[in-house]
Amino acid sequence: YLRERERHDWSHVHLASCYGGLYGRPFIESFEETPMLVAVLTYMGYGILTIFGYLRDFLRHWQIEKCSIAREKENQKDFVPLYQDFENFYTRNLYMRIRDNWNRPICSVPGAKMDLMERTSRDYNWTFEYTDRVVQDVINLGSYNYLGFAENTGPCADSACEVTMKYGVGVTSTRQEIGNLDRHEEMEKLVAKFLGVESAMAFGMGFATNSMNIPALAGKGCLILSDELNHASLVLGARLSGSTIRVFKHNNMQSLEKLLREAIVHGQPRTHRPWKKILIVVEGIYSMEGSIVRLPEVIALKKRYRAYLYLDEAHSIGALGPKGRGVVDYFGLDPCDVDVMMGTFTKSFGAAGGYIAGKRELIEYLRSHSHSAVYATSMSPPVVEQIITSMKCIMGEDGTTIGCKRVRQLADNTVYFRKRLREMGFITYGNNDSPVVPMMLYMPAKIGAFGREMLKRNIGVVVVGFPATPIIESRARFCISAAHTKDMLDRALSVISEVGDLLQLKYSRHRIQPSPARPFDDNVYEDIDD
Amino acid sequence: MNVGTAHSEVNPNTRVMNSRGMWLSYILGIGLLHVILLSIPFVSVPVVWTLTNLIHNLCMYLLLHTVKGTPFETPDQGKARLLTHWEQMDYGVQFTASRKFLTITLTPVIITSSSFTYPRFRYILTSFYTKYDRVHFVVNTVSLLTVLIPKLPQLHGVRIFGINKY
Repeated sequence: YLRERERHDWSHVHLASCYGGLYGRPFIESFEETPMLVAVLTYMGYGILTIFGYLRDFLRHWQIEKCSIAREKENQKDFVPLYQDFENFYTRNLYMRIRDNWNRPICSVPGAKMDLMERTSRDYNWTFEYTDRVVQDVINLGSYNYLGFAENTGPCADSACEVTMKYGVGVTSTRQEIGNLDRHEEMEKLVAKFLGVESAMAFGMGFATNSMNIPALAGKGCLILSDELNHASLVLGARLSGSTIRVFKHNNMQSLEKLLREAIVHGQPRTHRPWKKILIVVEGIYSMEGSIVRLPEVIALKKRYRAYLYLDEAHSIGALGPKGRGVVDYFGLDPCDVDVMMGTFTKSFGAAGGYIAGKRELIEYLRSHSHSAVYATSMSPPVVEQIITSMKCIMGEDGTTIGCKRVRQLADNTVYFRKRLREMGFITYGNNDSPVVPMMLYMPAKIGAFGREMLKRNIGVVVVGFPATPIIESRARFCISAAHTKDMLDRALSVISEVGDLLQLKYSRHRIQPSPARPFDDNVYEDIDD
Repeated sequence: MNVGTAHSEVNPNTRVMNSRGMWLSYILGIGLLHVILLSIPFVSVPVVWTLTNLIHNLCMYLLLHTVKGTPFETPDQGKARLLTHWEQMDYGVQFTASRKFLTITLTPVIITSSSFTYPRFRYILTSFYTKYDRVHFVVNTVSLLTVLIPKLPQLHGVRIFGINKY
């Protein structure tokens, strides 16, 4: 009766034999299917919320209920409307009810534990008031703090202070004009060395790195093959570039190969001329699913069909791999195979910004042709120093083994957390090694309930729902950090189990741990010799 | 909870009807409506069938063919603002599985409602009752047509007499 259909099967042996040993390690991913009863109840939940939404709109329209949303001015009622009422339906009727789970103000460094400002609402989340209390020591399961570098003490913070004393905080110029500090040059050399490529270039914002650099690389007459679940920055960059975009199913290599073959055989849409270039855009870890890209197969396809590969390692740099060098290191591949390696400093390095790395000609080209390089302000010196110090720490160049320990601690924490969640009976998505752990909630009411119950028990989590995820797949997303000790993880897991029992979130059809109701057999001890 | 946060699906409304369990929920919803109507004490069975048909078709017409746009902001600058949900389904591709399913489930309700009227009243020889059974049939057919015609691919994007244009 195990009717579970995993999208990626557990057959690491099958893969190794099929693709001639492409994968050096087991690749275990699972996306358990939604139980049918849960799906029906979820639709029912959304249906009831929609009916009540229409009712409340009706009451608000006829002034029976107070209206707190932005409306058109009275004397402009006959003009062409500025905004469409219906587009805001979801925000006013569903999001506002559970709005207290997002935008929570944090008043300490977002490390393994954080302090939140307590707020209450008297009109059902339309306005918030701050009580003057601070919720102390909330376990932080939502920050992308994979290696624990979000700290305000230690060598990184000290060196950032020194640099602020020397260079100030603002650079007041773009890189091209007069904002190119020697710290920037050193950081870029360090990033290139870290990744094992020829040269790298850094930008102030991760989103801007993607959206401003893809238009510089691809243009009209090019083809971009992007994964279904690519981040908004990649989608925006692809759209701004003006090339043809084709989407392949998430992490599905057959779909990608089919698209590649069709593209090469048929050429551009009407003229059938060959494409100027084909760019495959994938991410290292997909942050909503927790899945890792099948990089060995993508590289094999790219070599076979002569396409270029753009790898966005926003979440995987520093978080995967035995030396923390990202998904290329995780699979043991050659960094020269990936044409454009992109990543962000926000997640594992505790700083802000993004980088692009690759061959020297590519980076020299981007220095003059990318919008981000030419027009955007350069990175702030303390942020740059944080990147330099944390990267040296991970590489081991500062003389200590802190970086190495943190990478290993993260891997252990990840495996432990995922194993325990699965044993408890929750449905989690993604690869066994990815530090992003999405746990399924499914029903809209449980999104709000889970966030609030966890906060009551002093744990902060991030919950996501429709339309950021498909309609029945709302989830809570945990991000494991190397700064979490085993006690913190155990406490978090026991609380998650408690809330899971309260809200009935243990949907999984195959629990590994047997139920504790089995009677204890005393006769086992009779064989012991005295 | 912003649209387009983590996937490249520009308009999630297009995929709603294809999601897992949606078809089953739809059929269960119709069944629930029918059972609720059956539990009203003073209406007879053929009237209940006709009422189910009417209410189902009315709700379907309102939700799929009248309400336009999306209840959330989409990142495509409002391409679907003037399209009804039926026109948005699967980005306007005709004859997909969900469209065929929703069209075909319209017909059993009318067949059952008319078959309930016909055999029941055929044997009752007063002309008073035969007048009713024609009425039931006409009402059901008109209601079916209001829901069937907007689903035709020739009427994709067509607004008759400018009704519901903006």
